[in-house]
Amino acid sequence: MKMNRRGFMKACGVMAGYAVLGVNLTKEAVASAMDFVAMRQKSVYNADAKLYKFRKSQDNPMIKKIYDPKKGFLHDGPCGHKSHHLLHTHYIDRSAHLQALKKKGLKFKI
Amino acid sequence: MKQIEGVMYQTSAPKGKDPDKLFFVQVDADKCEGCGSCEEVCATGAIQSINDDDIHQVVDPAACMNCGQCLVNCPYGAIYEGVSYVDEILEKLKDPNTIVVSMPAPAVRYGLGECFGAPTGTYVGGKMHTALRKLGFDYIWDNEFSADVTIMEEGTELIQRVNEQGKKDARPLPQFTSCCPGWVKFAETFYPDLMPNLSSCKSPIGMLGPLTKTYGAQETKIPGKKIYSVSIMPCIAKKYEGMRPELDDSGFRDIDATINTRELAYMIKQAGINFNSLPDQRPDPVLGDSTGAATIFGNSGGVMEAALRLAYEVLSGQRLDNPDIKVVRTHEGINTADVKVPGFGTVKVAVASGLDNAAKLCDEVRAGKSPYHFIEVMTCPGGCVNGGGQPLDPEIRASLFRSTVAQINKRFRARKASA
Ligand code: SF4
Ligand code: SF4
Repeated sequence: MKMNRRGFMKACGVMAGYAVLGVNLTKEAVASAMDFVAMRQKSVYNADAKLYKFRKSQDNPMIKKIYDPKKGFLHDGPCGHKSHHLLHTHYIDRSAHLQALKKKGLKFKI
Repeated sequence: MKQIEGVMYQTSAPKGKDPDKLFFVQVDADKCEGCGSCEEVCATGAIQSINDDDIHQVVDPAACMNCGQCLVNCPYGAIYEGVSYVDEILEKLKDPNTIVVSMPAPAVRYGLGECFGAPTGTYVGGKMHTALRKLGFDYIWDNEFSADVTIMEEGTELIQRVNEQGKKDARPLPQFTSCCPGWVKFAETFYPDLMPNLSSCKSPIGMLGPLTKTYGAQETKIPGKKIYSVSIMPCIAKKYEGMRPELDDSGFRDIDATINTRELAYMIKQAGINFNSLPDQRPDPVLGDSTGAATIFGNSGGVMEAALRLAYEVLSGQRLDNPDIKVVRTHEGINTADVKVPGFGTVKVAVASGLDNAAKLCDEVRAGKSPYHFIEVMTCPGGCVNGGGQPLDPEIRASLFRSTVAQINKRFRARKASA
């Protein structure tokens, strides 16, 4: 059976606005989804402990190869010149557009 | 529109478009029942009621962090993805002049199996690599390798910042992680004053893209311009990240296409590959081999733990005998810890799961009251394993549906009784 809330709300003669339903609508279901997440998390830690030969990034032979001070592609080391060019970035202030939306009267949670 | 593992996708692979103008997630108004579950889980309030029927919409891309938590929590399956590169990737795989490389994220291998009937969380990394080879990817590289690179870069940056304190032009503490694209856009939008606290490191995929077209090109003797790089993520927001105009440091687009776990499962099924009977294979080593520190990136607290496994050894000059740093492992909410490092003192860290929690830590930093050296933020509760691009368990959606209906019925009866 398809549940149609729009029908319910009209039948109740209630003004529109889901806020009347309170804030705990999905709490229960979200909690069960989080059990599900715990199962995936557990599997991750199990793989970390049992499946991987090395457990620290600095022990990975391919990390030693790429950062090799003589022949490595990133021979000037982590945060070196080449890393800065390829692997680091800068960020962009995106607040103006949001402020403009707020000025137009839109409301957000923060 | 195409249905992919229970989610609708608009099959557009936008080229040269401004990602800030795209809806990566939107509501199909015809399917929306106005229950408001999406609005409740959205940290920014980007998704909200637009009319008297309570039909919900993402009102503007500027307010949406593309996390997809609304999508995975909609009991009616009314929310769709706006961008899918699947068709373009299938074309590139057929083109003999294009070298297609795969770059799967850690968390994908803990979700993909579920699309083929495996129990929740089953590790299918070996089968995933084999399936990618069978699909015709020319090189099987791995975002776990670049997660290890990220630790080297970001851990080193943290140590530099710690040592700089008190000096002129010191970069501020705490340092925030920068691997989660929902969080990075959130910081840029709501806390731009804290951008100097954000690690300057690109995310693991932000690093693997350019490494593929430079280092990878050098190692395989294939010109970078022939390489088409495919990011495979548990995430929707990574599609936005892949399109960031500044990610072209290799001299090309660093990341050509981004898909998520659901789309990879779809491609494997469409190709008629019997996933469950596949043998386990390894990625191609040079940009593929990884460690346990890389695989835990998929969990909230994982980047923190992996970084501490490096920072401990560098700061103390001693070997860390037991790499388990369980105090930082985070299931939900905010987790804080003091980690004692011999010869250095105490490293104070915090892990936030969910942007509402991140905002609390940001407010502390803004007020100058944050005691931490290092803060990890993941937008999705529990981390990437619970990302917006992961398979949806049919049971979870059914239980969302049941609880929504039950709540509405309860209110309905209460109102009738009091009328
Ligand atoms: S959760 Fe789905 S059905 Fe409910 S208001 Fe949001 S889009 Fe509509
Ligand atoms: S994708 Fe995330 S930020 Fe955007 S509307 Fe959905 S929950 Fe909100």
